[in-house]
Amino acid sequence: MGRVLRTPLGAAAAGTVAVVLLLAVLAPVLWTDAANAVDTGQIQQGASADHWAGTDSLGRDIFFRVLVATRLSVQLALLATALGVAVGLLLGTAPLLLGARAGRVITAAVHIAVAFPGLLLALFFAVIFGVGTTGGLLAIGFALAPGFARLTHTMVAGVAGLDYVAAARIAGVGRLRVLFRHVLPNVAEPLVVNATVAAGNALLAFAGLSFLGLGVQPPDYDWGRLLGEGLGAIYLHPEAALAPGVAVVVAGLAFNLFGEAIAKGVGLERRLGTSTSRFRRRPRVAPDPDDSAMLVVENLSVGFPGTTPVRGVSFSMRRGDAVGIVGESGSGKSLTALAVSRLVEEPGIVEAERLSFLGADLRAGEHRRLLGTSLAMVFQDPMTSFNPTMRIGRQLSEVARHHEGMDRRAAMARAVDRLAAVRLSDPERRARQYPHEFSGGMRQRAMIGMGLMGKPALIVADEPTTALDVTVQRQVLELLASIRAADDVAILLISHDITVVEQVCDRVLVMYAGRIVEDLPAAELRTGARHPYTKALLAAVPDMTTDRELPLTVIPGRPADPANLPPGCAFAPRCPLADARCATEDPELVENAGARVACWHADVPAEVIS
Amino acid sequence: MRELRFDGVSVRFGSRGHRVTAVDGVDLTVPAGSVVGLVGESGSGKSTLARAAVGLVPLSAGRVTLDGAPVPTRGRRPLQMVFQDPYSSLNPRMTIGATIAEAVPRGTDRRAEVARLLALVDLPDRMTRYPAELSGGQRQRVAIARALAGRPEVLIADEITSALDVSIQGAVLNLIRDLQRTLDLTILFISHDLAVVRYVSDTIAVMYRGRIVEHGPADTVLADPQDPYTRELLASTEGRSR
Ligand SMILES: Nc1ncnc2c1ncn2[C@@H]1O[C@H](COP(=O)(O)OP(=O)(O)O)[C@@H](O)[C@H]1O
Ligand code: SF4
Ligand SMILES: [Mg+2]
Repeated sequence: MGRVLRTPLGAAAAGTVAVVLLLAVLAPVLWTDAANAVDTGQIQQGASADHWAGTDSLGRDIFFRVLVATRLSVQLALLATALGVAVGLLLGTAPLLLGARAGRVITAAVHIAVAFPGLLLALFFAVIFGVGTTGGLLAIGFALAPGFARLTHTMVAGVAGLDYVAAARIAGVGRLRVLFRHVLPNVAEPLVVNATVAAGNALLAFAGLSFLGLGVQPPDYDWGRLLGEGLGAIYLHPEAALAPGVAVVVAGLAFNLFGEAIAKGVGLERRLGTSTSRFRRRPRVAPDPDDSAMLVVENLSVGFPGTTPVRGVSFSMRRGDAVGIVGESGSGKSLTALAVSRLVEEPGIVEAERLSFLGADLRAGEHRRLLGTSLAMVFQDPMTSFNPTMRIGRQLSEVARHHEGMDRRAAMARAVDRLAAVRLSDPERRARQYPHEFSGGMRQRAMIGMGLMGKPALIVADEPTTALDVTVQRQVLELLASIRAADDVAILLISHDITVVEQVCDRVLVMYAGRIVEDLPAAELRTGARHPYTKALLAAVPDMTTDRELPLTVIPGRPADPANLPPGCAFAPRCPLADARCATEDPELVENAGARVACWHADVPAEVIS
Repeated sequence: MRELRFDGVSVRFGSRGHRVTAVDGVDLTVPAGSVVGLVGESGSGKSTLARAAVGLVPLSAGRVTLDGAPVPTRGRRPLQMVFQDPYSSLNPRMTIGATIAEAVPRGTDRRAEVARLLALVDLPDRMTRYPAELSGGQRQRVAIARALAGRPEVLIADEITSALDVSIQGAVLNLIRDLQRTLDLTILFISHDLAVVRYVSDTIAVMYRGRIVEHGPADTVLADPQDPYTRELLASTEGRSR
């Protein structure tokens, strides 16, 4: 919510909604008498100091009537929305509750209803339910319901396919309880957003019905009726129609924009990376180590108040390189990747002696142009990387429109082309779908496709396959490998799974407690690893010679807490080789024959450890 | 203690136009109190077989039985399952305690039972935490505790370590072995990793394109594989070891 208020449009929309709601509560209390005061001496007057918007055919003050009508107008819009949402929820969740067969019938009916324009549906229902406030309420409520039912249905279907719902059902949890405990809380966010937008539409629709004389009937009045009355005298004094008209438009727009602002706040910000973290430059010490390098990271640290989870990381990559970073959760892998992409958020502080990409100094804010074009990022969870309320094609094309100023049509054509490039079948149809209509693997492909909207030289992929079923994991990894082969794109792949990194990468960086402790060619991982932590990681994975009678080797203890590191080597509390020196002195990362290792006892053979 | 049996089980997806046969006439017996390892490449139908056993996908043919009787779908569930991904198998908006308690049968002291289960998986004092506050390994322990809440006799474990840090994978495998021995569980242990399957299983079944192509005692299958696919699998796994 805080994020919504920080954008000017979001703040303005929220402010207007608040004013409208306040008026709805207060206006009838304060000004009912003024609005109903008949003054036969002042019939159908134009605007004046006494009557800001003139008077009606009984000499009543139109400005006050508009203010007082706020309550009825807003009340009816909200009631109609509530009705629409309630019916929509019932229809949308019915397939889950009633089972597949009844569900299919309801879903088909909803799809047919959705195909009709909302206003047409409202008019149709208005005729059925009859003229009047209640009739209008029912008409608009039911007209909103199919859209909501479809949204609910697709959202619910997405969550209902997740393992925690399956697990609950296997455990014998009833369908109703599954719905209320597991499904609805996890789809509430987008539903609330859409309900807010729908409230704006209901407001406009109700004004329309009343204007046509099908809605609110005298002596009650809402904005639509005032508009209808004012229109009769539009040539004499237009302000009588103008005042309620402005009220309808402003209030309707405010609800709509507020809803969309929330939607943006929920989904988009994370992806576009409104990174605001401060960046401190350290004085340059060392000269350029490798001028052909595309990405150079030197002595990179990422700090938060009280901790420094990344401490002095240095590495470089050339065009077409595939480098993997492995390590336990919390070792600083993701933060390193985020720092490279300049996506570390407040209150994080990134420091580096050098952080350059394609010759641009990332520390100097030259990254905006590169992010989204030359540098692409793929995150672990593709669901949270997309805005749930926007079509996939539009989200991809916005990247090109934003960065390259492409027009809408060309950007969409490229989006479809890139969806095809990541091997999504029927890309044109897929582009028109919403994120929840995609499976996890398809979303991850779409995410990679989004990265390809520019011409990336580097793809940073943070656990791109962890949230996916193994069936899909390999396909996504193969896709990354083929993109790399086709366009000489470099890949920085972060994974907890040492075997994944081994398959995809040429070089492996092993991280522990925020530092690189070993850097070696992937092919030498199993034969040439020298750091006890790397060896322990490899030993923890059983192979075909593991003794089945003994428990598996596990790395004792817990991963180091970056807020509370021991004075010497961070791995010392868990290391079988640790001695007095390890406990007091932190070993440097030393280069030797194309590999780097940080350990006082890197030359002790593996057998001694296991 | 119960025996899990698949008799001629087939599962087909899709309709007329494009039909996929994910599981194709599988006969497989998991004897009471033993661990059968099911190995096969991604997409070979292992997960579908597991989901069919617990009723998450409908069978197209055949039957799944526990000691000769159909798997009960209401009341106490003697057959439970642990999923691959501990990030999606726990509801992010429910506490650990509530998640496990939900699976505890009625008429039991839920608090005490949840505490017992968490102690069993070596995770005491975490009842009021949310999944986001736990590491992957801890979440998988919670998922195992939930599966054990119904006091099942048969457990299906589908790729339960492939989403975990390697440093934690070993601990979870050790836990499964301990639990199997102390609770005398019947386990169908599914993995795409032959080395992992070899470590926990008494017998190994190999699945390829929806069919079981080989099944026998672990040592026999590994020492003298009969099916060409098993040989290939074995060769690629051995190539990986030191
Ligand atoms: N709901 C589904 N609809 C269509 N095909 C499916 C569905 N679920 C799985 N499949 C297909 O069934 C096959 C077996 O998948 P799966 O059981 O997940 O294999 P495994 O667990 O061995 O990796 C795959 O080809 C997969 O694409
Ligand atoms: S420096 Fe010492 S404690 Fe650290 S990894 Fe090497 S041997 Fe172990
Ligand atoms: Mg599977």
